[in-house]
Amino acid sequence: MRRTLAFATLIILLLAYPLTSFAQSGTDKEIIVGANIGNVPWEFQDTNGEFIGFEIDLVKEAAKRLNREIKILNVPFNGLFSAVQSGRIDIAISSIGITEKRLESMSFTQPYYDSDQSLTTVKGNGINSLEDLKGQIVAVDTGSTGDMWATANQQKYGFAEIRRYEGLAPAMLDVAIGRVKGYISDIPALLYYTKDKPNLEVVERIPTGGRYALMMAKNKPLVSEVNAVISTLKEEGFINALHKKWFGVPAEPTTSTVEIVDMPSANNGNLLNFFDTFLNKQVFLQTYPMLIAGLITTIQLGLLSIISGLVLGLILSLIRLYAAKPLQAIVKVYIDIFRSIPLLVLLIIIFYALPFIGLNLSPFSAAAVSLTLVSGAYTAEIFRAGIEAIPKGQFEASEALGLGYRHMMGDVILPQAIKIVIPPLTNNCINVIKDTALASVVAMPDLLKQATQAQAVAANPTPLIAAAVIYLMFLLPLVLWVSKLEKRYKKEGAK
Amino acid sequence: MTTLIRLENVNKHYGSFQALNNINLEIKEGEVVCVIGPSGSGKSTMIRCINLLEQYDADGKITVENMSVQKGKDLKQVRAEVGMVFQNFNLFPHLTILQNIMLAPLRVRRMSQEQAETLALSLLGKVGIAEQARKYPAQLSGGQQQRVAIARALAMEPKALLFDEPTSALDPEMVGEVLDVIRKLADTGVTMIIVTHEMGFARQVADRVIFMDCGQIVEQGTPTELFDNPKEVRTRNFLKAVLNH
Repeated sequence: MRRTLAFATLIILLLAYPLTSFAQSGTDKEIIVGANIGNVPWEFQDTNGEFIGFEIDLVKEAAKRLNREIKILNVPFNGLFSAVQSGRIDIAISSIGITEKRLESMSFTQPYYDSDQSLTTVKGNGINSLEDLKGQIVAVDTGSTGDMWATANQQKYGFAEIRRYEGLAPAMLDVAIGRVKGYISDIPALLYYTKDKPNLEVVERIPTGGRYALMMAKNKPLVSEVNAVISTLKEEGFINALHKKWFGVPAEPTTSTVEIVDMPSANNGNLLNFFDTFLNKQVFLQTYPMLIAGLITTIQLGLLSIISGLVLGLILSLIRLYAAKPLQAIVKVYIDIFRSIPLLVLLIIIFYALPFIGLNLSPFSAAAVSLTLVSGAYTAEIFRAGIEAIPKGQFEASEALGLGYRHMMGDVILPQAIKIVIPPLTNNCINVIKDTALASVVAMPDLLKQATQAQAVAANPTPLIAAAVIYLMFLLPLVLWVSKLEKRYKKEGAK
Repeated sequence: MTTLIRLENVNKHYGSFQALNNINLEIKEGEVVCVIGPSGSGKSTMIRCINLLEQYDADGKITVENMSVQKGKDLKQVRAEVGMVFQNFNLFPHLTILQNIMLAPLRVRRMSQEQAETLALSLLGKVGIAEQARKYPAQLSGGQQQRVAIARALAMEPKALLFDEPTSALDPEMVGEVLDVIRKLADTGVTMIIVTHEMGFARQVADRVIFMDCGQIVEQGTPTELFDNPKEVRTRNFLKAVLNH
């Protein structure tokens, strides 16, 4: 879902870009804050659905001091960057670390928290340090500091694979299942998350020296305004009080939670224009190999699902049409259910629920199975309609000639039905390929996942634009081909 | 002459409507039988029961060469022995004329490609359209298509041929060419049952003519007996109606 949303917002962002400076001209309007809700204890929901947390408290107080209203939106972590750049939100919070890369296209206030990364595992699974992860799969959040650290150190520690999740909850679920052995993420969040979960344990601090700050669009006046407020809040001891409130102890006096520090600035801090932001050649060249790897995964998953969906659909349609009544009924139920169930729901059930009955599928298999099950149901209906459109006389002529069922279907009926079903089948194929993007919720490195990751790492939305262009490049010809076929068949039918 | 096809006490119900009513009929080998009668009289239903395109009621019995016509492993054998030509031709539109004819010999008779092709070409020659072999059905006229359909049925070398109103869907100028082909076939000694509205043709080609009405065989006899001297009132009324227009 998120993926699809990201996909859609991408286009909207592009269209909305020229409007943003105009929309932001007033300074007295409310401050819009984007937060990756669920990132404990920084921003999450209490049982009443209220947003609470360290950073929520901080931005609320800052807005109060500036006499501004505040509105908080839930934005996934890797969506925060383009949301800030496009002006949809004014401030991004989510324990975002200051990095050189990000400073090239973003502005940060002074930091208010010194952090490190950490390794979290299930107690007793034999992983007690990073060294134990040799040959194992590790989990990270897409595009996070942990992701960057793990990517940079993959060879050093010999991780078999880095699996990228959309946040703490799904990642920890897979750690608990045992599908991945450890989760590398910000230490404060994990200390907070594991404190009431005795089976989980933060086994190692990974010193990365990250510092969290509020992230804003490049060189907006709001940055220094908010930065000044943060200085005041530090002086008053307000931020340290937040530390005590959320972590139980006050911060050490030398940390940025207590000390006022300078606002970070970029080495080459030019204000980026439209092209540098959305069509940045350098970023594109850097991230291009990742996108191609993603495209290959997308195509593999798409093709496998399409082909197995076709086979399944054909078998189902034949059972639905010609098998004994009870079998027909069962298949009808199957088709109805799998056409109704949202693919995302099915995918999550297959990936996260089936391990509890001992069926442990890899992300790729889980995605392929889900896509096949759903595509099979649609394909079955398409085939059924195609077969039913063949005149009765064709069946009778085949029977009268003594052709068996197999030859009647294989030589006479299906070759004619294929022509009828090619346009709707191609449409279904296009949908399957687009739906592969949903597989990123089970940490599948498909095209869109790679693009969002690249986007977060480079702090620049160019990879998303590139991904959109790639999707268009191989789906648009299919779409056009279907229209052409439909037109041609219509003409032939009219003769 | 031996009996090839036998119908005993054949009934057929569609719900409460009775389409066939106690049909008893024997067709001898080599015999040419024309079935006439008003629309809805059960003519087509009757011949469609002979190769089980229609399932007749369980109390009746149909045999072809002493094989019972019912669902099961003999059915394929029965259908291989009994060819059928339909009102609407029912050629396979995605196959060429040649492929239409070769399909069943290849699949059912398990002939080799060359054998089947030789056979198909010679049959196309017989029905007079050998030059159309590589075309598709849609490129042919109705009369030509029906001649292909006849060749296709003949390719199985059946003992008997069933014709279900073979000229009813044709433009009038094409009726003749199809009847000519059937007439020639009649001379070769193949057993035929022809449901038709062409009275002149029936009189000329048939050994026996059957008149059906309301799902029953009302009267049967040689063409002369039935056309010139019908005994039953219903036969007389029908003939008067069709011959006087």
